[in-house]
Amino acid sequence: MIRSLADYLHLAAAYVRFNLRAHLEYRGAFFSQVVSMFINDGAWVAFWILFFRRFPVLHGWTVTDVISLWAVVTAGFGLAFGIMGNAFQLASSIAQGEIDVWLLQPRAVLPHMLLGRSAPSAWGDALFGFVVYLGFVRPDWPHAFVFVFMSLIVGVVFIGFAVLCGSLSFFVGHAGALADQWRNALISFSTYPPTLFQGAVKVLLYTAIPAGFVSYLPVEALRSMSAVDVLLCVGGALLVLTTGVTAFYWGLRRYESGNLVSLNG
Amino acid sequence: MRAECLKSISKYSWIGYTAVRSELAYSAANVSRIIFMATVLYVFMRLWSVVYEGAGVERLGGLTETQMLWYLVATESIIMSMPRLWHEVDQDVRTGALAVHLIRPLSYAAAQFGRSTGERVVRFAINLMMGSVVAILFVGPIPFSVAGLSMFALVLPMAFVIDFFGAMLVGLCAFWLESTQGVALIYSRLMMLLGGLMVPLEVYPDSVQPILRALPFAAILNAPGRMLVAPSSALFVHCLEVQTMCLVVYGFAVFALHRYALKRVFVNGG
Repeated sequence: MIRSLADYLHLAAAYVRFNLRAHLEYRGAFFSQVVSMFINDGAWVAFWILFFRRFPVLHGWTVTDVISLWAVVTAGFGLAFGIMGNAFQLASSIAQGEIDVWLLQPRAVLPHMLLGRSAPSAWGDALFGFVVYLGFVRPDWPHAFVFVFMSLIVGVVFIGFAVLCGSLSFFVGHAGALADQWRNALISFSTYPPTLFQGAVKVLLYTAIPAGFVSYLPVEALRSMSAVDVLLCVGGALLVLTTGVTAFYWGLRRYESGNLVSLNG
Repeated sequence: MRAECLKSISKYSWIGYTAVRSELAYSAANVSRIIFMATVLYVFMRLWSVVYEGAGVERLGGLTETQMLWYLVATESIIMSMPRLWHEVDQDVRTGALAVHLIRPLSYAAAQFGRSTGERVVRFAINLMMGSVVAILFVGPIPFSVAGLSMFALVLPMAFVIDFFGAMLVGLCAFWLESTQGVALIYSRLMMLLGGLMVPLEVYPDSVQPILRALPFAAILNAPGRMLVAPSSALFVHCLEVQTMCLVVYGFAVFALHRYALKRVFVNGG
């Protein structure tokens, strides 16, 4: 088990190196996307700083909490899609019958396929998350350690959710637009303070749109440094990932090849 | 001369009409846009509701809570109706499809204008309808005046044209850059932050408001939004001045860049 896990970590490292080298062939485009995503995230944080200058407290949340929220979400999102960028294309790949090439490889289909591509702009998100947290929040060592751990957990939620959304294509045909909207809803809800939402919407944010596990619980864990919150995050992330993976392999039985001649490279 | 001009207008109108029909044909895309619009408006509605409650005031930036949500309906409808024109231009330049466009008896920029306007009109109408439903459900209606709606109807097309010029400038950067995605992202964020997408400019510090009002972003978002919910003749006149200035400057920039860029097109037979 541990050997198999180490084996897959080596594979992931090899794919990250390979994908980065591929991006660096067009370094102008790559760096412009990284820098612009950094600026994009910076614009949002600037908005929140301006907002909190005018309205200092939002139901107990301060600007530092919102910066922590943005930092953990962007770092997790960036790591997830920087390493497993193919999760974005899952719905269209399934609908167009393009996953044959991954079925032929001597590896588990899903992780191998997800690792096959990297989203260049996601590296801008990852960079932004870590720079902003270290620069603005100035954490001590324990907080910094929990932040890195939480970023990885948030990344797991993003990947699990992207797999779940993408797997809809097995069941409803071309689910590209639906998967995009569902993912966008997760991002929209996870970048605002949780205290804005109550009642049924709050339930929704821990089930159908698991923003609670992406931003609220991680920020709460960073605020309180509580082991319970960390464990809740880990549990939530594993639940989302398991649901996504189950949906994928269940749907894979219904997969029909597009008979496309394609090369992975 | 007049007949030729009318013929040109009719040609580009047909392109716009085709884009309208094409946009209406993709109902799934429209439905997903409606869902996204409703989600975003719900989030903002909650945000502003908490802010008004916390601040304990009736008006912020001169707007009541109800007016604020209707302002967001207007600005979100405008921003979310924007077609990915920069991407189309970028792809035409990168794939060489531009060369095929150039041999047609059409101006490339004018054809893009017809197409993107057609798409935008449909998207805007759908967004505004959906946004109005959400606003009525959550905060109720606001009183509209004929004068206010007329001012809104006048400044809105100008805002669309200025935005078209902006997107065209971003797309034409493809002649010099490896990817225009980054420039487009920054352009849209500047629009969001400096244009008053989520926060009316009147809520910003007094010292920066005059600068923001003079920028084209405010003429695209803030001015039409204010005109819908709290119209005033002074704002209308100021808005027309800024929009006219933007149209001249942006229009000239697109014309010059388009001309200069086309000189860089090389067609290698085949």
